[in-house]
Amino acid sequence: MSLNGKAYIVGIHEHPIRRADGLTTAQLHADVALGALDDAGLTLDDVDGFFCGADAPGIGGMTMAEYIGLRKLRHLDSTETGGSSYLLHVSHAVQAIAAGHCNVALITLADRSLAAGAGTALAGIDFTNAPDRPFMAGVPPGPLFGYAMVAKRHMHEFGTTSEQLAWVKVAASHHAQHNPHALLRKVLTVADVLESPLVADPLHRLDCCVMTDGGGAIIVARPEIARALKRPKVKVLGGGEAFKHADGGRIDLTYSAGVRSGAKAFEEAGVKPADIQYASLYDSFTITVVVQLEDLGFCAKGDGGKFVADGNLISGVGKLPFNTDGGGLCSNHPGNKGGMTKILEAVRQCRGEAHPAVQVKNHDLVLAHGTGGSLAGYHTAGTLILGAE
Amino acid sequence: MATKPSKLPSPDRFPDAEPYWAAINEGRLLLKRCPRCSQAHYYPRPHCPFCGHRETEWITASGKASIYSFVPVRGAPRPTAVAIAELAEGPRLTTSIVNADVHALRIGDELVLTTLPGEGGQSVAAFTTPQANEARAYTARAIKALGTSPVEQGGAARSLQQAAVVGAGSMGAGIATALLNAGLTVCLIDRAPEVLEAARQTIHRNLDVLVQRGKLTQADGDARRQALRTSVNIQDVAGADVVIEAVWEQMELKKAIFALIDQHAPAHAVLGTNTSTLNIDHIADATSRPGQVVGLHFFSPAHVMPLLEVVRGPRTAPNVLAAARQLGAAMGKTAVVVGICDGFVGNRLMITRDHEADRLLLEGALPQHIDRVLTEFGLPMGTYEIADMAGGIELVHRIRQQKGQQGTIVSRLFEAGRLGQKTGKGYYRYEPGKRRPLPDPEVTALIEAASREAGIQRRAIGDDELRSRLILPMINEGAKLLDEGVVDRASDIDMVWQRGFGWPAWKGGPMYHADQLGLPLVVEQLAQLQQRLGERFRPSALLERMARAGERFTPTAG
Repeated sequence: MSLNGKAYIVGIHEHPIRRADGLTTAQLHADVALGALDDAGLTLDDVDGFFCGADAPGIGGMTMAEYIGLRKLRHLDSTETGGSSYLLHVSHAVQAIAAGHCNVALITLADRSLAAGAGTALAGIDFTNAPDRPFMAGVPPGPLFGYAMVAKRHMHEFGTTSEQLAWVKVAASHHAQHNPHALLRKVLTVADVLESPLVADPLHRLDCCVMTDGGGAIIVARPEIARALKRPKVKVLGGGEAFKHADGGRIDLTYSAGVRSGAKAFEEAGVKPADIQYASLYDSFTITVVVQLEDLGFCAKGDGGKFVADGNLISGVGKLPFNTDGGGLCSNHPGNKGGMTKILEAVRQCRGEAHPAVQVKNHDLVLAHGTGGSLAGYHTAGTLILGAE
Repeated sequence: MATKPSKLPSPDRFPDAEPYWAAINEGRLLLKRCPRCSQAHYYPRPHCPFCGHRETEWITASGKASIYSFVPVRGAPRPTAVAIAELAEGPRLTTSIVNADVHALRIGDELVLTTLPGEGGQSVAAFTTPQANEARAYTARAIKALGTSPVEQGGAARSLQQAAVVGAGSMGAGIATALLNAGLTVCLIDRAPEVLEAARQTIHRNLDVLVQRGKLTQADGDARRQALRTSVNIQDVAGADVVIEAVWEQMELKKAIFALIDQHAPAHAVLGTNTSTLNIDHIADATSRPGQVVGLHFFSPAHVMPLLEVVRGPRTAPNVLAAARQLGAAMGKTAVVVGICDGFVGNRLMITRDHEADRLLLEGALPQHIDRVLTEFGLPMGTYEIADMAGGIELVHRIRQQKGQQGTIVSRLFEAGRLGQKTGKGYYRYEPGKRRPLPDPEVTALIEAASREAGIQRRAIGDDELRSRLILPMINEGAKLLDEGVVDRASDIDMVWQRGFGWPAWKGGPMYHADQLGLPLVVEQLAQLQQRLGERFRPSALLERMARAGERFTPTAG
């Protein structure tokens, strides 16, 4: 069953904070939930579906449902796939709405890993009994080295350069300068990126996203409810989720599960990459963006470096404006999960509500994509295609 | 009352994987293979993740792999790269590459299995390179060769039991510590009582550290303390089997001291000098027994660094040489016999390199660039980090002053009160109480001023040029040493550099490295540098001859 047009995104909220000293994770979940409800013009009692990840304290979504005050729940989903969780939550919400399991779905993300000193760990995820870990003793935990190996292999197979990767950060910084809440607002040059310390060859410090606290929320509603609300309409046209892992030793670093999640989303939406006017691309690292552009079909495999060079991702300058809020690379990557903020900016662009300096002129068709987990190991890709109505 | 936090379950140790862990402890890597679909998978599971069959068999992997991708890890305790290794059997696994030239790796390079010690006596799998293994095998051969010096046939060495150390500065204190640790009694002699006292406390501290680390029992520590005597009278060399002089590096002073030692030391005593730059034979002239005089060149800190350059003067008696080597062995040192020359082996190569480093600073490099290139090459520390640690700025400044040289970077640093770690700033700056060298824009400005004054237009210098200009002259100098007969064999140069300067065993040494580059290439590159930059790069005659004849410095295996 195609999910095209079966639901709308009617409310969004991004917490303005970037470091949450003095606030609890639960408070942050409630803050973003209420913010999104205000944006939609809906109330707590309108919500009958709730989606969250492992960053929600307690058991699945139950503890937050109580804390926030959701008493009309009929549908609960705590799918956790790292940063891409929220792309899947929107798809799952559309599916639940289409199947009649709920009418108004609330999706929240919140975390305070910076204030809590948790580094690159994902809240609520426990690798203690993961069977792969003992066989990787001696390998430092965290995503950095895996993504650096992806970059190294990409350079080896396709000739991608550090300068090309740097352009991704440069583009994000051009956008972040207009975002008053962005963590890094300085416009960067390629030289700035290349001169930043090499943290994991070939990745420099500025090839990496920021670490922030905060979060965001999304409200998805059935079409009848959406049409009665006052906000610009953002229709979900297509969604896809796909998975990739090390498959018993058959590791291939040159592509991600995005090849499959993207294909499904485009097919469902009935559009092609060339039709997309704005893209939010998961930007944990610059290399993540390059690989996703290829996998989603914006360019051929191996041409991602050339595609992003020379400002091609800059709004008003290049062919594919991306991450116009500054992205995870410059603005916000709360709790080490960037999928929520990717969707939020895509919705803003689709509504025509992005900052005027970066708002794409024609914004009928936008895309958001997330990669959660490690591109060098197991990860989940989630793609959404949204349309303005 | 606070409730006890619930205990996290301890990690599962999967019982089906026990054979894997036992095999790793024996240095073997096991994979699982499915009897139904014949495919091998990694990491091992009791079932086949490809076809779902419920039984899998263990197979022993060859231990050979190639690099699919890798990333060197900065700041790791041993050279490490995270990597995905493609096993010869097919599966790719995430692992680490260790104790190899991690900054010189390329995708596709060969790997071989090794193991690392893990928790609770369980080893873990890792990989290294065949080249690193070959260099380690070379090192083992080269160490054995040290014990077969031609001068060995020199007559029985008398066992040395009582030592006197003249000069209680930091080297004297370190040498005294090392002698005590070798079981000798030590009389530490210095004119100045306060220097003696400070040295005594340093020696006691050194022994305390060993006790704290469990390397020495309290009782043995006390015994060694008891074995130390201090004195302000040079006559107290009277009971010593070996006297080691470690005073200021000044010929007149050393000659005066040796004359006094000659008067009071017993006839059989080995008379050693720790000089690093002065001619042993001239020092021997101050005595009536030049045959007893030998150089015993320790490296700082003398109770830690494993290298001892035993400097053979033209008149040094064979049995004295043998006694010196035995003493070195008793002290746990790697003793390398070298002839007289400026700087002997270690320092001569280091000074050559560091002079070039100073030129590179004027031409456009910064201390952090040079040190990064050297540490990525494999050395534990770079030129300028060492200088800051060891008081190099003051030392070099005084030498330059004596030679009447002015206006150098070193003198500017000295005049700015930047003497290194002990003043919190030198070539780098240091946070209070910390030892990590931090780049300092003040130093950059100072170096730029020096370039301007020297009329040099600064330029960006690439890593390859830095490396060639720092390393090739060391090889060239080593070849000259060989030609001059200062060392018995090329591998001795390499052992000096491993034991005295931390050149890694997985990279052999300067002369082994020359063989890896290929002598014709070394000669060609030196000749090109000579054309561009001057005579100091002229390839040595020995190097040119060996390159033409297709010879190597170091022996291959077998």
